Amino acid sequence: MSKEKQLIKSILNSILPILLAFIIGGIVIAGIGENPLSTYWILLEKSFLTSTGFMNTLHYASPLIITGLAIAVTFKANLYNMGVEGQLLLGGFFAGICGAYIHNMNPLLHKLICFAVGILCGMLFALIPAILKAKCGVNEMVVTLMLNYAMAKLLEFLSTGVFRDLSSGYVATPTIAEGAMFSRFGRSRLTMFFFIAIVVLIIMYIVMKKSKLGYELTALGMNPEFSEAVGMNTGKKTIVLMLLSGALAGLAGAGFMMSEQFKYTLSFSGTPGLGWDGMLIALLGGHSPIGILIAAVFYSALKTGSDNINMYTNVPKEIVALIQGLIILFLAVKFISDNRDIFARFKKVGKDKKEAA
Amino acid sequence: MGLLSNILYDTIYHSTPIILCVIGGMFAYKANVLNIALEGMMLNGAFVATLVMFFSGSLPLSIFLAVLSTLVYGFIFSILGISYRGNVIVVGLAINLITSAIAGFVMQIMGTANITLQNVNIANYKIHIPLIGKVPLLGSIISGHPPITYLAFIGIACSYVLMYKTRFGIYVRVAGENEDSASSLGIKVNYYKYAAVLIGAFCCALAGVNLSVERLGLYTNDMTAGRGFIAIAAIYCGQGRPVLSSMYAILFGVARALAVNLSIYAGPASGLFDIIPYIIMVAVLAIVSGVKYKNIKERGLGSAM
Repeated sequence: MSKEKQLIKSILNSILPILLAFIIGGIVIAGIGENPLSTYWILLEKSFLTSTGFMNTLHYASPLIITGLAIAVTFKANLYNMGVEGQLLLGGFFAGICGAYIHNMNPLLHKLICFAVGILCGMLFALIPAILKAKCGVNEMVVTLMLNYAMAKLLEFLSTGVFRDLSSGYVATPTIAEGAMFSRFGRSRLTMFFFIAIVVLIIMYIVMKKSKLGYELTALGMNPEFSEAVGMNTGKKTIVLMLLSGALAGLAGAGFMMSEQFKYTLSFSGTPGLGWDGMLIALLGGHSPIGILIAAVFYSALKTGSDNINMYTNVPKEIVALIQGLIILFLAVKFISDNRDIFARFKKVGKDKKEAA
Repeated sequence: MGLLSNILYDTIYHSTPIILCVIGGMFAYKANVLNIALEGMMLNGAFVATLVMFFSGSLPLSIFLAVLSTLVYGFIFSILGISYRGNVIVVGLAINLITSAIAGFVMQIMGTANITLQNVNIANYKIHIPLIGKVPLLGSIISGHPPITYLAFIGIACSYVLMYKTRFGIYVRVAGENEDSASSLGIKVNYYKYAAVLIGAFCCALAGVNLSVERLGLYTNDMTAGRGFIAIAAIYCGQGRPVLSSMYAILFGVARALAVNLSIYAGPASGLFDIIPYIIMVAVLAIVSGVKYKNIKERGLGSAM
């Protein structure tokens, strides 16, 4: 098959689920008596067509690019690190603590310390499932999913108790020092963190496409038995990849803390959470860095748009979460497979059913 | 004495939804379909039951619609994950997100952050067993639970019979263990996989009803709080065996009951007690898998999963 044809197919495979999800979302919007087209127009207009809106979209895309990479690095190797959310929360939390409790420090150094702490926390938390997987063969997905809940509870405990900012009316940690905050460009929310995310993306592009590790993780994802048989230490690779993923998640959390939130609240990463958004982005982008960049900007537009939907229409902003879920649902199925077109696939299922009957 | 009976009562109370999810999930596990949508299915059951109860006040109707709507999710899961061979983990995650989004969407339209049932007195659902209820310690532990709790414990026995003593159970297991040989024997593999997922949806719906309407008379979003994943961990630990897996579910119930009852004495650290059940499950999972892994390595049977 020609490369061009394959590219068209992979693009179609990403676009069809989005279209389907938006159509169903539109039906739901129409169902509650609102106009789906004008709702979608507001979403598009406010997040792409104004310069401030577009810069905000890029701003919210920054952590998503990194969490998307964090997910892609493991998913591509058939490792399911569902703990990106928890790793991000932990990284963000302690980056925030360092930001708040260290005073009178060189701004650049202060930011670096916060990033280092965030990355370290993410890696440490990813180390638990990684070691369990490599040494005991424990399913990493179940462990990471459960540790997410434990982490959310632990941070809730810490932020309501030890690190609570008593002057604040709600549960929050103290606001970080000015030196640890990224300054905004003009009227938009865009900060240097976006460019850090782009640098990380370029590094990860080189790691995933050009380095030995990138080759090994692809091999691991395609055939773990073969990889082990030809002498790859799969256990060690598992730990390395999980640590890399955790480091990225922690970095995203720290950056989000310093460029957007400035303190840890119980809704730090929003619903359904930056880690989960990262999963959609990794799937949407086909686990490739460039795909992730496009997907992150697209999804960030959805997110910034959802606030505007809430402001300018009567449609609840949960509609965006619904559309997100539907996109993931449809992305699970490759509508156009590598060697058959969609119609042949439908025919085949029909035939299977006939044979079965 | 009072504390002990409280802990034991709460053990049964907290085990129930997880046991139901375990029963529902293990058929899919045996059929080699990893159903991580248990969480979302349970949430959907809880949400629909509470919503219907809120508007109609009829418990049978709300249970019926909760089960029906959850079965729809079971079908969606099966069609995309089994017939179209999509990645079941991704499909499952999507269902988890969608159910919580729909519930949030509807509650936003209703203008509430959670649905509280004014027309329900949860004390009415508690069944007081005539004879056993009079026995001092035992009575206060076993008697006084809502109906689905008893159903869940009966369900353990039923699922054992269904899994090991019927043709259906054998076919489900064969379909999971070796798909190709199963279909060469004329077993409709997909049919049994569908059935396994749908049993899961049915049980999860009941777990949701138990969690929301029967126990608390209210629904808040994401009230399932990872119980579906705990059930999956229990199934993994028990290797999909009904009684063993249910024991792990009860172990979680014990941990949760201990956490709830002992946190009263912990003062400001009581928030930390919520973490214990999750940590215990991870530790148990590590020990069980570790032993299994070692055996596989020592006997040199294939590669460890």
